[in-house]
Amino acid sequence: MAAGRGPGRLSDRLILGATTAFAVLWLIPIVWVVAMSLKPNAVLMRSTAGLIPAPFTLENYAGIVERATVPTWLMHSLIVAVSMTALVLILSSLAGYAFARLDFPFRRTLFVLVLAGLMVPEQAVFIPLHTIMSTLGLHNTYTALVLPRLAVPIGVFLMTQFFRAVPKELEEAAALDHASRLTIFLKVMLPLSVPALTTLGLFTFIYAWNDYLWPLVSATQADRYTVTVGLASIQSNFAFSEGLGAVMASAVFASLPIVLLFLVFQRFIVAGVAMGPGK
Amino acid sequence: MQHDRLLSRLALAGALTLTAGAGAAQAVEISFFRFFGECQAEYGSVNTAAEANGECGIITALANQFAAENTLGATVATQIVDWGAYYDLLTATYSTGSIPDVAVMHGSVLPNFAERGLLMPLGPVFAEAGIDTADFVPAALANATSGGEVYALPYDLHALLWHVNMDLMAEAGLVNPDGTPILPTSPEELIAQGRQFKERTGKFYLASESQAAEGMMVRFWQSLMWQQGVDVLSADGKTASIDTPEGLTAADLVKAMYDEGLVNPALDYAGAEQAFLNGEAGIIMNGTWVVDSYDTQARSGEAALKNYRVANLPTLFGTPAVWADSHMWVIPADPSRSPEETAAAVAFIKFLNDNSFQWSRTGHLSVRQSVIDSPEFASLPHRTEYAETATRARALPPAQNQRAIFNAMFTDFNAIWLTGTEPADALAAMQASVEQILRRNR
Repeated sequence: MAAGRGPGRLSDRLILGATTAFAVLWLIPIVWVVAMSLKPNAVLMRSTAGLIPAPFTLENYAGIVERATVPTWLMHSLIVAVSMTALVLILSSLAGYAFARLDFPFRRTLFVLVLAGLMVPEQAVFIPLHTIMSTLGLHNTYTALVLPRLAVPIGVFLMTQFFRAVPKELEEAAALDHASRLTIFLKVMLPLSVPALTTLGLFTFIYAWNDYLWPLVSATQADRYTVTVGLASIQSNFAFSEGLGAVMASAVFASLPIVLLFLVFQRFIVAGVAMGPGK
Repeated sequence: MQHDRLLSRLALAGALTLTAGAGAAQAVEISFFRFFGECQAEYGSVNTAAEANGECGIITALANQFAAENTLGATVATQIVDWGAYYDLLTATYSTGSIPDVAVMHGSVLPNFAERGLLMPLGPVFAEAGIDTADFVPAALANATSGGEVYALPYDLHALLWHVNMDLMAEAGLVNPDGTPILPTSPEELIAQGRQFKERTGKFYLASESQAAEGMMVRFWQSLMWQQGVDVLSADGKTASIDTPEGLTAADLVKAMYDEGLVNPALDYAGAEQAFLNGEAGIIMNGTWVVDSYDTQARSGEAALKNYRVANLPTLFGTPAVWADSHMWVIPADPSRSPEETAAAVAFIKFLNDNSFQWSRTGHLSVRQSVIDSPEFASLPHRTEYAETATRARALPPAQNQRAIFNAMFTDFNAIWLTGTEPADALAAMQASVEQILRRNR
């Protein structure tokens, strides 16, 4: 027994050691970003080396926080991210349940079409999408920021796969109790799918929060900026050399909500990655 | 075009009427679209441009000053956009309907907008508003012109310069008795002086962005082409002269600079700046836009660079010439803009032109000869050291897709020192790539 566990422990240690080494390796750029955000721009112009912020300054963060427009940008981002997440969850779970459990004409064809959507790069539909929104007069509205992002093939796929894995007996038991299809969906299937919904919700929220290109060309009025577009707009022209500290502070500032979200929900995110479409 | 001219004349007539009856005028809001960053916290309440510093500070204060002083009752609503995404967003406004009244534009991008009818022609407007186009240096006016029509108010020239560490040059024995740096006047001298510098100091002669991001060496190579009397793009913007004997001479020189170890090929833009400021290279090839920044670093006493000087890009062949681009102000075409709004936009542009000197305090060269010749310009730090750059400045002819052309060139050109491609092969590839883009333009 002991002989059998020996190599196991050794391999565990090796894996742990390698994981730690990779984790440190991947953390270094983040630590570097934080360190640079705490250094004066003039110092960074001479040298960007070093993970310790000396000389230390908070002026880069002060530059962000003292802008009256920053809370507005944060609010726009929050409204867009929360509404997009809620709507994606509703649509994907409904569609996923339908594809997994309901019998309707062209179900397979439609499912294949949805999956085909996975293969269409976002950039390919960018110009038609922009033109459609212009024709509808929707640019510079929340609708334009949220609506085009609601069709999430990966979400539908994820939920379909999840619902397919739920034993049919559970539904049949509910059906015997005269539960309607909607009741079965709401009372049986949805509570079971909380882990999948949490994962999809988190990924959608992160995607919405980090989105840059679409808000950039749709929300063209400064009072409609989201936090990513807003923070980018305040950079000077040669920000990558003359205002590096400010750029890094913007990056840290904009990612804080996501980092907090990750810390709170990391169990679900890890589970979600493990559950991903590969399985 | 005639229709546009008529519209702009009507707009100007409106402006003059409004100016005359200022008291009765309604408040007009000018939507002002620009990059240059945001500095509202520092300069939001500064109404005198002379009290501001840096690109962002000065343009913010200029807008404030116009809003405070103009007799039209016009206000300025500034919208600041990320530099990297600026043209994507400006293009998008034509579709979203929030077209700005005044916008900043690079000369190299102007043909893309002008030739599609997206800009208001300004020639007649200038004449009637009293903006003297003869006062603009030729390269700047050429930058603002497309198809024979002026579409923009040129506001600066930003050109390549050599920024020099005089202490290292002295160590290398490359300083004239009058204190000016000894700089090359031929390709042979460049290599010889570079070798001498390297031997005596053990450091790189020249720092330059070399990592295929900014194309700094392509701008140098283009300058050398003009110096040999060759235009990389023909005046009509339809043919390219890249794979030529002159092109090869210039490219061979660039290759030799890397082969001799005079330039560090591993540096990106920020890395090249760090090398120069830390005293690891004698000269950095960079634009006019960094003069004040390097001057501040040298004066701070904290950088290894202590004794800083600026020089025009050396003339290595017959004709003095240097690559330049230009910031300019345009009025994007907007059928829904009222005559009052157009008038206010024109008045704002005229105000910016009247205060051109303030902008030249950024380090950019003024495009107005009267400003360049003025004693106040001469009193700015280092400006006299590179004043000639304004007259040597050359811009690519107004061809569409100039940015694409530039990107196509530097990808292949950088291969000379990054992957060891022979200059002749690199030039052939550049010629083919650029011709492909030019064919699309027709």
